[in-house]
Amino acid sequence: MIPQSFEYHVPRTLEEASRLAAQFGADGKFLAGGHSLIPMMKLRLAAPKHLIDLTCLRDLAYIREEGEHVRIGALTTHFRIESSALLKEKCPLLPETAREIGDVQVRNRGTIGGNLAHSDPAADWPAAVLALEAELRAVSPRGERGMAAKDFFVDLMTTALASDEVLVEIKVPQLGHGTGAAYAKLHHPASGYAMVGVAAVIALRDNGAVERAAVGITGVGPKAYRAFAVETALHGKPATQAHLNAAAAHAAEGVDVNADLYASAEYRSHLARVYTRRALEAAVKRARAAATA
Amino acid sequence: MGETTTQSSPIGARVPMVDAVDKVTGAGKYADDLTLPGMLVGKILHSPHAHARIRSMDTSAAERLPGVRAVVTGAETPVKYGILPVGHDETIFCVDKVRYIGDNVAAVAAESEAIAEHALRLIRVDYEVLPAYFDPEQSMQAETNLIHDDRPHNIEREYHHHFGNVEEGFAQADYIRQDRFDCPEVTHAALEPHSTLARYDAEDGTLTVWSSTQVPYYLKKTLAATLQMPEEKVRVIKPLVGGGFGGKSEVIPLELAAAVLARKAGAPVKITYTREEVFLANRGRPRQIVELKTGVTRQGKLTAVEARIIQDGGAYCGYGVVTILYSGQLLNAMYDIPNVKFDGYRVLTNKPACGAMRGHGTVNTRFAFEQQLNRIASVLGLDPVEIRRRNLLHPPCVTLNNLRVLSYGYPECIDRVVERSGWKEKYGKLPYGKGIGFAGSHYVSGAANPIIRSAMPQSTVNLSVDRQGGVTIFTGASEIGQGSDTVQVQVVAAELGLPLEQVRIVAADTARTPVDLGSYSSRVTFMAGNAAIAAARDAKRRMLQAVARAYGVAEEDLLMEGGRVLGRNGCPLSLTLAEAARLAAGPAGVLTARGSYNTPEESRGGTFKGAGVGPSPAYSYSAQAVEVTVDPETGRVTVDRIVVAHDCGKAINPMNVEGQVIGSVWMGLGQALQEVVDYENGRIKNAGLLEYRTASTLESPPVETILVESNDPEGPFGAKEAGEGSLAATIPALTHAIYDAVGVWIDTLPVTPERILRALQEKQQAEWKSPGTGARM
Repeated sequence: MIPQSFEYHVPRTLEEASRLAAQFGADGKFLAGGHSLIPMMKLRLAAPKHLIDLTCLRDLAYIREEGEHVRIGALTTHFRIESSALLKEKCPLLPETAREIGDVQVRNRGTIGGNLAHSDPAADWPAAVLALEAELRAVSPRGERGMAAKDFFVDLMTTALASDEVLVEIKVPQLGHGTGAAYAKLHHPASGYAMVGVAAVIALRDNGAVERAAVGITGVGPKAYRAFAVETALHGKPATQAHLNAAAAHAAEGVDVNADLYASAEYRSHLARVYTRRALEAAVKRARAAATA
Repeated sequence: MGETTTQSSPIGARVPMVDAVDKVTGAGKYADDLTLPGMLVGKILHSPHAHARIRSMDTSAAERLPGVRAVVTGAETPVKYGILPVGHDETIFCVDKVRYIGDNVAAVAAESEAIAEHALRLIRVDYEVLPAYFDPEQSMQAETNLIHDDRPHNIEREYHHHFGNVEEGFAQADYIRQDRFDCPEVTHAALEPHSTLARYDAEDGTLTVWSSTQVPYYLKKTLAATLQMPEEKVRVIKPLVGGGFGGKSEVIPLELAAAVLARKAGAPVKITYTREEVFLANRGRPRQIVELKTGVTRQGKLTAVEARIIQDGGAYCGYGVVTILYSGQLLNAMYDIPNVKFDGYRVLTNKPACGAMRGHGTVNTRFAFEQQLNRIASVLGLDPVEIRRRNLLHPPCVTLNNLRVLSYGYPECIDRVVERSGWKEKYGKLPYGKGIGFAGSHYVSGAANPIIRSAMPQSTVNLSVDRQGGVTIFTGASEIGQGSDTVQVQVVAAELGLPLEQVRIVAADTARTPVDLGSYSSRVTFMAGNAAIAAARDAKRRMLQAVARAYGVAEEDLLMEGGRVLGRNGCPLSLTLAEAARLAAGPAGVLTARGSYNTPEESRGGTFKGAGVGPSPAYSYSAQAVEVTVDPETGRVTVDRIVVAHDCGKAINPMNVEGQVIGSVWMGLGQALQEVVDYENGRIKNAGLLEYRTASTLESPPVETILVESNDPEGPFGAKEAGEGSLAATIPALTHAIYDAVGVWIDTLPVTPERILRALQEKQQAEWKSPGTGARM
């Protein structure tokens, strides 16, 4: 099947990209790897009149450490994140998540920025950036701004980005002492997307109680979300199995749960609880190891 | 091919396929790679309704669109066709009614794909929507709005077979078990979408069609019939085919549409299906509901089997009558069952037509039977392997329903799998969450009876030996990736004592090659292989006779070996094949030879209604052990290892046979775990390879293949079926392994994590309510 015809634009600068996006408005769409958008265009689920290809903006592909943060350019491929020695040391949740995305070909072409801006309800990155409380930075003719991950995902395939805004960077705070993180995912047997994907970050006090918990969940509802009810249930409690179990029971609370051929809403809610507990267990284990390191 | 030249005989040699290099380099051409000057693009308009009467149609706006060269509708193509003589219920385009979402309404040939698509949108069709039937059990109750007027209750065909006396058999049983199995529709998902290029020459009224087909011979006949042309004016050429699995084993609408458009437009037309259209063309494995009742003695000896089978065939017959018969007939020829009853219903519904798919008709019945046998073994406390050993056939024999079994490697398959898999150490002994399961399956080595009954041989091969000793095989057999060409080259090279490089093959071009019925029912190695051997022997005989005559020696004192004619018994003669060929060519200038194969009369089955389907000159057998890990918290299954033994009679090319067996196992895995064509009110919800995913290398466990060689007395060098028979056993072996791992039986496919989890929860509740009942029931 061939997509509807479209105009193809290759801006040389970020300013030009933003200007083109402003010009085309709802008829324009950024291309940043194409592993989500192009299949949708082939299936005619998306039919942008103008494609603005960002892949020439090579300056936007980077991973660097700056003070207490790691900064990742929006056009950085999944594979580069998966294989980054810096991230494996400073923010291992990101390589761990990258490893679970699609297949080798997808990871070689797809980018973190493209993935986040597309905001597929079953994409992996949203869970990770939510749990890491990352900041997502965007540029438009009006200047640059940062958005908290929890405010970025608005609805099904809808983000807080304005149509002329280009997502340029994901700014991730480094995890402190006694903090552990983990990503637990069940792959959809057909697409490889997350039937459920849970990213958890747990910081433990010296006495073993939970100082801070942040949980991002994807694949379950119309958009990725922070499981605040899980986090609240853990706060200040000792990280015992009983408490983890009890907290995980809130994983799908208040969520309009997806149903498809492979999982009814009821089963998917069950999976959300099981994978949340597994992510919490792994994060706690790593937090303990980090505390004693 | 270095190793082949040092090997004394190419039989049993692990040689790469003769067309492999062209496929890998891209030099080989598939139908969609072909172009002709002035070629147009054809597109088909599909029905948006599952069941509707066509009140009127207006194509004038489409015809006026610049760049459109032809528009055709059902009014111009009213001739009915179908792959089976008893099932002529399709027309190229719908004449009065549409019967499924996707049915073929009209087609356009245009100068570009975009113009053709635009033109389709300009065709106005006025539909009167009718009530539609989607569920076969409901469809069978229909009194009005029938899908085809001449099929009461929407039943395409029903069969009622009774061999022996099941009432007596059940009376002798100590234990009788009844279960209902539900296997949803699955489809082939061949990587190459269907594609056809057609050229009509108005000067001499000839039609040439290049198509991705498994059955060039039947396509040629159907083109002639539906286009109302003399058969000799139609030529069908099969280029490389990128997988068929049965999906290209009957005439597919685009093949006829391209030809009609080419004739009307006066220019070549190519149609390649989109992936969605491949799903709409379908012809996949029908949903099958099996109600199965089996009786056994305390020792596990089968006393009677009774099956009521309903198949959801979709809107047209296709191969349906054959599919429903296979589902019942091949209850037999695997085990010794003294009493068998079969009630089969092929039902019409308003969905894309089902057809033949790898393991045609046998797979879902085999799943049901093997699963029930495993359940019986577990109730009786018998080892699942032992219960099979107690019910083996004793060939040579003829089954109750007249299936002749000569070679029977099933007992050896069982033994080898038991040994290699570590069955005795593992079954019932692995920790909770891990399990191993066992099952068997079988399949025909070609249908003994042709689709259109006639005295014509099933396969004919011509051979020419040129004056330099080069051999060319002319065969109608269709290479679809399964190794058809390679096998014929190997057997001819072996007969003539030549290296493979000296043998060329010209295949599947109805104007140049003699008739072979096609690549379906796993018939090619057995039938075209035997025909190729006969042709090679004919050539050999002619050469030896010519040499004997020329040198005044006795024919018995000559033999052919290593590409030479040599004397023996004291005769010192030594000639090259080229010299012998020149002598044999004589005044004709070239040596030609021919051979053919037809099935022996004794292999063609009985005379009762439906007896023609199921008989085969030989049956293949397979046994499998599957090991799994089940996550009891989510129901997720990981397949850890599969050991499969396949009785292929003789592995002419072990590498190729292993590939076929592994491919079958993968296809079985896909059906067992994840594949289902998902409908909502007749509309396919997952008509794409992203949503409908077959098992791939990514989720494949290690598959250990054991080839068992029972040396069939009638097979070419002893060979029989290899490409389908191992599929069916994978499914019940896998569900058995799940039972061994977590104690639940799943009788509905696919075995999704959700189904397993639900079964586990139900089991937990049942045990909580009645403590003390065994987990292994």
